[in-house]
Amino acid sequence: MWLIMAALLALALVLWFSGYFNGVTWPSLVEAVLRTTYRLLLAYALALVLGVTIALLVGWSPFIDLFFPVFDLLQNLPSFALFPLFIYFFGLTDQMIVLFAVSSIIWPILFAVLTAIKGAHKDLNDAALIFGATGVKRIRHYLAPLAFPAVLTGSIVGIAIGWESVIGAEIIASVSGFGAFIKNVDTSDMSPTAIAGALCILVIVFVINRLVWAPLLSESSRRYAE
Amino acid sequence: MPNDMIHPLSLVLSRVSARFADEVKRDHYALRDVTLSVHQGSFVSFIGPSGAGKSTLMRVILGLMPHAGGEVVRHFSRPAMVFQNYALFPWLSALENVAYGLRMQGVPREKRERAARAKLAEVGLEHLESHYPAMLSGGQRQRVGLARALAIVPDLLVLDEPFSNLDTITAEALKADLLAIWRSYGMTILMVNHLIPDAIELSDQIVILNAHPGRIEKVLPVTLSRPRDTRSAAFFAEVDKLTEEIRKIS
Repeated sequence: MWLIMAALLALALVLWFSGYFNGVTWPSLVEAVLRTTYRLLLAYALALVLGVTIALLVGWSPFIDLFFPVFDLLQNLPSFALFPLFIYFFGLTDQMIVLFAVSSIIWPILFAVLTAIKGAHKDLNDAALIFGATGVKRIRHYLAPLAFPAVLTGSIVGIAIGWESVIGAEIIASVSGFGAFIKNVDTSDMSPTAIAGALCILVIVFVINRLVWAPLLSESSRRYAE
Repeated sequence: MPNDMIHPLSLVLSRVSARFADEVKRDHYALRDVTLSVHQGSFVSFIGPSGAGKSTLMRVILGLMPHAGGEVVRHFSRPAMVFQNYALFPWLSALENVAYGLRMQGVPREKRERAARAKLAEVGLEHLESHYPAMLSGGQRQRVGLARALAIVPDLLVLDEPFSNLDTITAEALKADLLAIWRSYGMTILMVNHLIPDAIELSDQIVILNAHPGRIEKVLPVTLSRPRDTRSAAFFAEVDKLTEEIRKIS
């Protein structure tokens, strides 16, 4: 991982010093990337709270088997098919892009949590009940900690989908951000601006992965190992 | 042998039936017309082929699954269970696992941790209190499971094949601990088991179940005096008798 990243950075530096990036308007590129990242993180935060809450409540209720196929159907709807609806209700705004991204990020999180709850060993469920994790206590002292590794994996998949949703929405709607930015640059060949943009996104993805997901994943696999 | 006058009943099952939980087998009975009384403080073993509904019976007794017919009268208030696969909470340390039941009862941290520490010491694991289940051996996990059950001072302890995932030496040691615990706590113990000598060594009563549908075939009292010498002629005679009974149904 680090090796690939170092190689990419070295390449970027070589390109930089060779004057390849001279034509790039850095301030507007960086501004666009940061705006996209901000939308993504906001959408992720909303999707995380919403997805985990819904999944825990459904998992807590006796209706988990009823809801599962419904969610499965909803998740299978291609997000972009609903894009016109989002534009209709929210217009070409910041909120529209964020909410649209929420609608695609939420599913992997929700499903990961529901699957973890459904797939838990029956004995573990029995143990929680026998030792008193009944009623609402069941959520905090059994379902939530049980779902933690699933929240992680769901988040990683969700954020990957989220990048596509945010940038895709920005391209279609031409509402500021990285998507709108690359739409306006010359995409007929490998322009320095496109390369610089891709490198910026790569760096952000790499940083999030190494600083957030990698430590959480290793902690989770240490704790939750069988 | 327990007597009705001095040992009141802990549990009465009359003609209890239960269906399978999964959809495919929902029309079949996992248990059919099970009638049984268990005296307080007695040690009862349940033995029988797979499909005889042993685990289902335990889950019905504990109210973890509904029964389709009959009546269950529970004269216990603090049931606990020890599982074949330990069923420890992987996100909690050994100490937190043991303290789980007390935490659910709202016992403050300091008090419940002191109690949990004492129970861990009782099963010989006080030095491993901060270990997570994944870091423990099978025998250690089962001891944590036992300590978790003891921490709520149960009046009914259900053990579902507690030794079957353990090697012989570990199982023997745990069995000795279990007997000592039963003597000092005096709770009612229901144990699902498939080893005949274990059942004879530990039990006051052995319930033989049969499959398709799960039902009680016979209830055998074990009248050997305690502590039981597992190498005496009388002990072997009991083992023979039970083996014969089980052979009849298979």
